[in-house]
Amino acid sequence: MSSNSKSVLFAIVLCLACSLLLTLASSGLKGYQIRNINLDRQKNLLRSAGLIDDQDNNTPEYIEKLYYKNIKSLWVDPSGRIVKEMDRGEKDLPIYLYIKDNAIEAYIVPINAQGLWGKINGYLAINKDGSTISGFTVYKHSETPGLGGEIERSWFQKNFKGKKIVNKEGKFVSISIARGAVKDVIQEDLRVNFVDGISGATLTGKFLSASMKDILKEYESVSVKFRQNMFKEIPENNSAGK
Amino acid sequence: MKKTESKTLKVLLDPLWKNNPIMVQILGICSSLAVTVQLKTAIVMAIALTMVVAFSNLAVSVLRNVIPRNIRIIAELCIVATLVIIADELLKAFMYDISKQLSVFVGLIITNCIVMGRAESFALANPPILSFLDGIGNGVGYGSVLIAVAFIRELLGSGTLLGFDVVPRIFYLSGYENMGFMLLAPAAFIIIGLLVWLQRTLLNK
Repeated sequence: MSSNSKSVLFAIVLCLACSLLLTLASSGLKGYQIRNINLDRQKNLLRSAGLIDDQDNNTPEYIEKLYYKNIKSLWVDPSGRIVKEMDRGEKDLPIYLYIKDNAIEAYIVPINAQGLWGKINGYLAINKDGSTISGFTVYKHSETPGLGGEIERSWFQKNFKGKKIVNKEGKFVSISIARGAVKDVIQEDLRVNFVDGISGATLTGKFLSASMKDILKEYESVSVKFRQNMFKEIPENNSAGK
Repeated sequence: MKKTESKTLKVLLDPLWKNNPIMVQILGICSSLAVTVQLKTAIVMAIALTMVVAFSNLAVSVLRNVIPRNIRIIAELCIVATLVIIADELLKAFMYDISKQLSVFVGLIITNCIVMGRAESFALANPPILSFLDGIGNGVGYGSVLIAVAFIRELLGSGTLLGFDVVPRIFYLSGYENMGFMLLAPAAFIIIGLLVWLQRTLLNK
């Protein structure tokens, strides 16, 4: 056999062997990986609803149980009406409900924001009054560690709790990240709409504020329904988590 | 017997200190900057890289007489890439949180010069067992520097070790602050530089 055809033969055999190994690894581990991804999402939703603390070390079973007991996922159309998952359209938005004692306690909006260096993914939980933030988590970002990366810290995220997305007149203004500590840079009557910023991360804050405003604007129709106390129905089918 | 034994030992121990891949050969710097913010990620990365180098050395060494010379680099790369993807999949399945933090850097083991370097310069010319040990030695040599750097960065940068607070509260109360600079990549450069300096000084004694 000439050396060239020997090389080709070797290459083919090696590639086949390698791809076989990869297929085995990927299909064998798929189940675990999907479970991990789901679990991670559930953990973050529960954290934004304030049901678990990020310090806690919970077992996967506990998280799953807690999730199915308290969280429901559904879709709403741009006017804030619930749509069935199977006939949802392009413009419909995902939303999660935190159910407590058979009543809606809060609704959770997925945040897919633009940061300085990349996407920031998280969840923002808003109380059933439609204006008070009850929790915020970030589960993925690519900001600079120590600077913009501080958004993943609990001091920053706890910052959001109790703040409002509406102003005193009840008009939507979104929530913004201040340049520095709120009590130093924001006048008193506007403080409910601002959270403390991160020093050295002005741009991260700016981008996150802008994205949050866009996202919350999209969900405004839902928030309005909550404010008017018209969003009461809890969907029966428990299709959560899929 | 004595001679082979000492050679085995030399293969295993040399890369730990005298011929350390990071401190002497200055290889694998990129990943050692990226994953050393926390001790935990550094340890996992060290283990992953050790496994990949050891098994790629083993595989290349077993195949060394059948790999055609003209495509040997591609063949080595193919073996390394397969092992790296398997390592990545395993991490995603069983250590999801850490794999999220390591993100692309596990995948980038493929381009880590240590892995290719060992396959090319050692495994192609030596028997399997010896090559495997060489891989372990180099992996541990790389890992030990990684862990040393991560230890310093996590301790000074966040005041924790493996996520546990170690700096006493009283320090913070009396004005001590974590060094934010340690969390940035340049800090790793400086620490590695200091380690290289320390190691050369000790070696030249």
